[in-house]
Amino acid sequence: MQPNAPVISTTNLVKRYGSVTALDGIDLNVPQGLIYGFLGPNGAGKTTTIRLLMGFIRPTSGSAHIHGHDCWRDGVRARADLGYLVPADALYPNMTGNALLEYMATLSARPPRLRQTLLEALELGQDVLKRQLSTYSKGMKQKLALTAAMQTAPPLLVLDEPTDGLDPLVQRSFEQVLAEVRRQGSTIFMSSHDLAEVERSCDRVAIIRDGRIVAEETINELRKKHRRIAEVTFTGTPPAGIEVAIGAEIIRRDGNLVVLSLEGGVASLVRVLAQRDDVADLLLTLPSLEDVFLGYYNLNRNGRTEIAPDSTAPRPHTTAGVARR
Amino acid sequence: MKPFARMTARVLRSGLPGLIALLVGIAFFEFVQPLVIASFGGASGLDAIMSRIPPALQVFVRARPEFLAMSGLAGYLSLGFTHPLYIVLAGAAVVGFAARTLAGEMDRGIIQIPLARPVSRQSVYLSRALGAVIVCTLLALSGPVGMIAGMLYARPNGALEFQNFGAVALAGFSLFFAFGGITLCGSAAANTAGRVVGWSLGILILSYFIDYFAGVWRLLESITFLSLFNYYDPTRALVDGHVDPNNLIFLIAVGVVTALLGMVIFIRRDLPA
Repeated sequence: MQPNAPVISTTNLVKRYGSVTALDGIDLNVPQGLIYGFLGPNGAGKTTTIRLLMGFIRPTSGSAHIHGHDCWRDGVRARADLGYLVPADALYPNMTGNALLEYMATLSARPPRLRQTLLEALELGQDVLKRQLSTYSKGMKQKLALTAAMQTAPPLLVLDEPTDGLDPLVQRSFEQVLAEVRRQGSTIFMSSHDLAEVERSCDRVAIIRDGRIVAEETINELRKKHRRIAEVTFTGTPPAGIEVAIGAEIIRRDGNLVVLSLEGGVASLVRVLAQRDDVADLLLTLPSLEDVFLGYYNLNRNGRTEIAPDSTAPRPHTTAGVARR
Repeated sequence: MKPFARMTARVLRSGLPGLIALLVGIAFFEFVQPLVIASFGGASGLDAIMSRIPPALQVFVRARPEFLAMSGLAGYLSLGFTHPLYIVLAGAAVVGFAARTLAGEMDRGIIQIPLARPVSRQSVYLSRALGAVIVCTLLALSGPVGMIAGMLYARPNGALEFQNFGAVALAGFSLFFAFGGITLCGSAAANTAGRVVGWSLGILILSYFIDYFAGVWRLLESITFLSLFNYYDPTRALVDGHVDPNNLIFLIAVGVVTALLGMVIFIRRDLPA
């Protein structure tokens, strides 16, 4: 492989199941040393792409390569330096956690030098690892599967929805582990349907929708473009014209609550609200992925950017996102 | 341990309690045969009983008096290796193993564990095939071992060459191997273990009854060559220690060809979602 060659590359990758087109000409180039997010709603084609990369399914046309090796024709070499997150419900139920980790390390033919670090970060103790997997909760299985995928510190990690089933605290620990693995030179390709997760973890992102890549850019570019929803609660009647001062659109007014749609950053919102003493509460949320597609890519019918009213429903993250910035 | 050996050990361990139960069941079933024969007064006592049974019923116990009179104790004991219960127990073990280790693992997604590693599909398949060969060997040995134990315990009246049990085991292995190959092939092509078990046991039972009823229904005589049981003769194996090489080659060939076909299918197919 060339020194600067992409770790993962796909060329016009197509997968059809009968008359259904799951992937419709995917072109991806994942550079070395990045955490690369693969973002899309459920059913967009994320898992199909990953299954093609893993050689689980054969492309209808086009090709996928890992480290320069064709994923279907030369799968053993393509997977030689790769860690893959096996779905949590696809683990041997009658194995203990310890036995599974040992088994998967043996099949990888690499020493599990990161195992202990991962077990500590993901809070998996020996008391848990000695038990059979049939007694594990979904979250515990997910932690074990993550440890198994990453324990050998492979140069490439392919993770399909890695934080699915993890509680928020463990998610943060996992993100720190990912950052550390990346610092050590690994490339991480992770799929997600959670925009917030991708924003927190990834350097670069490809967005897939209906089997096609609709955007591919850095996280900073993504952040600049998509809208945020701000729910501002005032102690009294919301001031008139506040949306103009902030440079936002009003989605809804409900008593003391104003729901705003912000484009770009949140700096002007924070600046305006900081000057007031009647702000009772502030909640920032990210739009849903569909809203990103509709608003950010102007995919609505009349060509105008719109944020659907139901996108104001609170979503898990956000105030933390403000604090971080 | 090398990945291939680890995978083989893994597939054998995954269904070990069930396999042990079936092996013990088969051994116990064959252990009982000499005890039953001894309770009738040995081979000579059974000769007298068999001579009074109508010919049509003799077919159902797969024994004709003239043959049994000539083959003696070995002939009566060999009925334990053609008995439907023995066939069902052994068939369940080999079909269950071959169905569970490929189609079952694909159905549950477990097959991704080895296939996500730098392990070829051939290796994954061959580890299952080796597991099936080991299961067939254990099945083929468990019956004779149980019967030898029963012989030593009951000591029924009549002559028997103990070394002929080796030929019985060989005949049994070839039959189980053929069904194992067929099931592996189906398992490689299917997405669920249940469907493979259904089809494979269906073939086994159909094959058994074509051979079984051919003795009383002339229409079936012309198609007995289609039954794998047509190539399985434990009676002759136990009576004179002989296994027809043609039968042996045919059954082994069926197992090898179908298993190889299964490997080709498994290498080329998409794994189920």
